Amino acid sequence: MKTVSSLLDDHWHERYKKISKLNIRSSIYDVTDRCNLRCKGCFFFSSNEHKAASEEKDVSKWYDFVDKEMERGVNLAILIGGEPTLCLDRIEAFYKRLPTFCATNGLIKVPRDRFPDMMVGLSLWGDVEDEITLRGQDTFKISSANYEGDPHAYYLYTITPKQLGKTENIIKKIEGVGLKVHMQLLSNDEAVDGFSWQPDELVAVRAEMDAMLDAYPRTVISSKYYHEVITTGKMLGRRFGWMECPSVTDAIDKREPRPKRLTNFIRWASDLKTMHRCCTSETRDCSTCKDGAAHMSWVMVNKRAHMESTRDLQNWIEVYEMFAKLYQFIPW
Amino acid sequence: MNNDITQTITRIAEIIINELKLEDVTPQTFDADLDLVDEVGIDSMDLATIALVLRDEYGIRIDEDDYPKLTTVRIIAEYINAKLTSGE
Repeated sequence: MKTVSSLLDDHWHERYKKISKLNIRSSIYDVTDRCNLRCKGCFFFSSNEHKAASEEKDVSKWYDFVDKEMERGVNLAILIGGEPTLCLDRIEAFYKRLPTFCATNGLIKVPRDRFPDMMVGLSLWGDVEDEITLRGQDTFKISSANYEGDPHAYYLYTITPKQLGKTENIIKKIEGVGLKVHMQLLSNDEAVDGFSWQPDELVAVRAEMDAMLDAYPRTVISSKYYHEVITTGKMLGRRFGWMECPSVTDAIDKREPRPKRLTNFIRWASDLKTMHRCCTSETRDCSTCKDGAAHMSWVMVNKRAHMESTRDLQNWIEVYEMFAKLYQFIPW
Repeated sequence: MNNDITQTITRIAEIIINELKLEDVTPQTFDADLDLVDEVGIDSMDLATIALVLRDEYGIRIDEDDYPKLTTVRIIAEYINAKLTSGE
């Protein structure tokens, strides 16, 4: 029987032990149906999720809801769209009692006197030209001014095919404002012309992501194995898709055989009653989904499958560490 | 009592080997003191699966809050025997 210590030397075993008992139980929450941007390719609006439920406006009900989520064992609240910072009271209902991550476009600065150490993920879709094409404005200019040097914020850089050969400029800009960056890929749910990935582009972007990690290891929070998995859609010879996805809402998960999955995971709509299918768009084709969190979770829930070789287990550790850093379970 | 615990250890090891499809180990050779998370690499979902089998086998409920302390086969066996003795 292969054991962890038979596969790892002391250094890697220590790294493993720092994450092996974290037992992270996340769920995702739509905080509001509204946003102060309308980005082409945003799954929340393209799949009409903003119309799926009418948002709960009574803040006391958000507090009651968080109580129930904690009873359900959730220990990481991931807050997403519309734009959560439009509803700071609702964010506070989570933040006061749970480790909380807030995804935002960064146009509104989270007040740090109220949320001193809440991790904030700033969405960025490319350089100025792409930001204007897809999002209508250069959000970096505003978000970087709002969060420069903030130790509890990082950029979620969604790379598009148009960004090939240009990612280094973005990484440098982010490094220049003293922030970290995590890279993911656009899924192009609205089929914006020229923004869908072609096979040769995926090969190229993987090489570029690897090069960025090598060149900017203190700024880029990532792992080469994650780059491999997200660009190829494959892990240990298995292909990502509906029957493999770990982040399907638990209550509607009738898959047989049931794959390894996030324990008790639910993605809640902002009425606090409706559940979405999964962590991303319900209309998305799972076989081409490029969701970064789903792919890293896919690796994380399949730990024992990565115990066939030392390299496999080291890959697993690097992906888990990446996740744990992005959600503040371990330091940068 | 010692005989009881030995039997329980062997049966739990057998369940874990079967559920996790572990290779090159038998219930008799499974080290009862091996850390299941730090060495065998099991996660909370594995533990939940094993807990369900143990519930059916022994007719006891394993509280999810107790998972973190169930770190070895021996500790699980002692936990089960204690529950059976107390009639919980």
